[in-house]
Amino acid sequence: MVFPLLKRMLNEGIVEDAHWVSLNPTGPEKAAVDGITLHHVSLESEKMKGYGYTKEAIWKAIHGIPQKLESASQVLWQDEFSDYTYYNRLSAERIIQLDKETDFDVFYIHDFQQLPVGHMLHTLKPKVFRWHIPFDESMIPPEWRQFLSAYFSSYDAIIVSCKKYLEALKSLGYAGKAHYVYPYIDPSSYVKPTESELAEYCRSFGVRDDDRVVLVVARLDPMKGQDRVIKAMACVVKDVSKVKLILVGDGSFSSSKQGVGLSKADIWLSDLRILVKRLGIEDHVVFAGHLSQSQLNAAYERADITVLPSVREGFGLVVIESWLYRKPTIVTSRAGIAELIEEGGNGLLFDPDDPLILAEKTSELLADPERARALGENGFITSKRCLIDRGVEEESKVILELM
Amino acid sequence: MPYPVISYELLYHIVSFLSIILATWVVARVLSTLLGKLLKGVAPLVAVHAKRLIWIFIWLLGVLFALEQLGLRIDVLLLLIGLLGAALLIANREVLQNFASKYFSDVYIPFKVGDTIKVREYSGKVIEINPMSTILITDEEEVVSIPNSIFIRETVVNITPQVWKEVTIPILISGEIDLAEFESETLKSCNKLKLHLDERFPPILTVKNREAKSTELVLTLMIKEPNRKDAIISEINSKVAEIIERMQRKKK
Repeated sequence: MVFPLLKRMLNEGIVEDAHWVSLNPTGPEKAAVDGITLHHVSLESEKMKGYGYTKEAIWKAIHGIPQKLESASQVLWQDEFSDYTYYNRLSAERIIQLDKETDFDVFYIHDFQQLPVGHMLHTLKPKVFRWHIPFDESMIPPEWRQFLSAYFSSYDAIIVSCKKYLEALKSLGYAGKAHYVYPYIDPSSYVKPTESELAEYCRSFGVRDDDRVVLVVARLDPMKGQDRVIKAMACVVKDVSKVKLILVGDGSFSSSKQGVGLSKADIWLSDLRILVKRLGIEDHVVFAGHLSQSQLNAAYERADITVLPSVREGFGLVVIESWLYRKPTIVTSRAGIAELIEEGGNGLLFDPDDPLILAEKTSELLADPERARALGENGFITSKRCLIDRGVEEESKVILELM
Repeated sequence: MPYPVISYELLYHIVSFLSIILATWVVARVLSTLLGKLLKGVAPLVAVHAKRLIWIFIWLLGVLFALEQLGLRIDVLLLLIGLLGAALLIANREVLQNFASKYFSDVYIPFKVGDTIKVREYSGKVIEINPMSTILITDEEEVVSIPNSIFIRETVVNITPQVWKEVTIPILISGEIDLAEFESETLKSCNKLKLHLDERFPPILTVKNREAKSTELVLTLMIKEPNRKDAIISEINSKVAEIIERMQRKKK
């Protein structure tokens, strides 16, 4: 999301020059893409592991995952946290060096992996922090709030993804400028697939002409709740015999072999396959893995319903993607995008801890194509609030206000 | 007509006079430059005045000694200058008291910019501590200037929440030491003292000032028990010194 934002801001002359500092253990030290200069920070393998461990622990804490949740005192006082701090310091030092050469006007720090950078920059020039993951104070353990609060205070402005998170930020005591900007996508990537692309997609994943398709697009992670929709499907197949659940997505950067080397996605996939087998719905579930953009477009086009079943979700841009194809969506009540859903108007909401409700709503929608069509059309109208034009306008306003 | 004869003695006095004037100029310049470096972090106007005072003082001394070489009696002059100095001291005793109090308050009275304090009938957040006074901003957004000499004579209450827990340790490292590596080692050292520190507030290293040859840092910790404060500071100072030495050796 941020790269397209930066690209657009450069193209429209809102910014004259842009530099991006990020972790990339395998990339070159410097590269240029679409007018943006990329500066890569790398870590030795031991520090990489420590950084990865801490990043995951913070992510779990923010998402309020009760299982295996480590306390702040366990995480923040371990040597692995020093590695996380080390990565942030390296990034900050690189930025400071670049600032001496380039004299930046504003610093835009992106998400929790880089949270301490604002404190480390040691400059009065404006610093904006973009928070993508959920920010629900009811989920964040109290002992973690102090850690967050200490670093938040270094930023002149913080942007979160929805109104609900904005209230949580203010109640944490953040005294700077707090904004919410709904995440956004560039609709130009989501085009109608050609007939042959559609046919190829259906052939690849065994989708027949008379199949009703329920689509889930999410990386393989327990947080994304694929198990909830699988459990729901076990009930749906009793009402709709010719129904297929297509699960699109694989692991995140953390799970890739070239990333921090974690195998969470593989473990989760294995668990899901076992669940599907146990429920006896192997003929109805397809694990599609990662799809190219054209295949993804075909997946949306062919779907009858899209489901966002996440247990926790910062926002849920897949719903916007689905709405661009005028598809009805059933959305978890725990996603940031839930605040854009009017029940029965432009979508349906469900509690991810209640797969039976999801099953009920899925079956009802599959049985009522007129209602499904209306939800899809209204969803398409709502999607305009989350397109890149609006995103650029609102983010630019925040940044320019500081300058 | 014969040329006037200048005696060697007179020549000696003239040369001495000129040498002392030259030496005075050199010393005044050197001391002025040194003072300028020492006062780098101070408000420029204060530094300018201080340099000017040193310049005047050195020249005064230099001129007096130079004049003595020419046979002038300077003891009366010195007496007059002494009396003038004493008069100035008496006239400005309050000012000097405030300067001196600033020194003592830095060392003995623990409050800093950002703390909220109560002294006499005033309470507010400290926004500035300068050589003359401490500036507070009250809840009613009034700016109160309290002469530093008050802090030596009156009871001061620091009402900042948990202020007794906060320990700030200033650190100076040379520019050749890798900051990221130093920070990582320092935090790991602090982790070993976790038992005595408030776990809700992990240590944070903050850069205060950065120059090519050195970096000023502050390590902030929150302690559990006030009676262990000195021991914790001492141990951390010792660990930090070890880390710096180790990293400097590695560089060589």
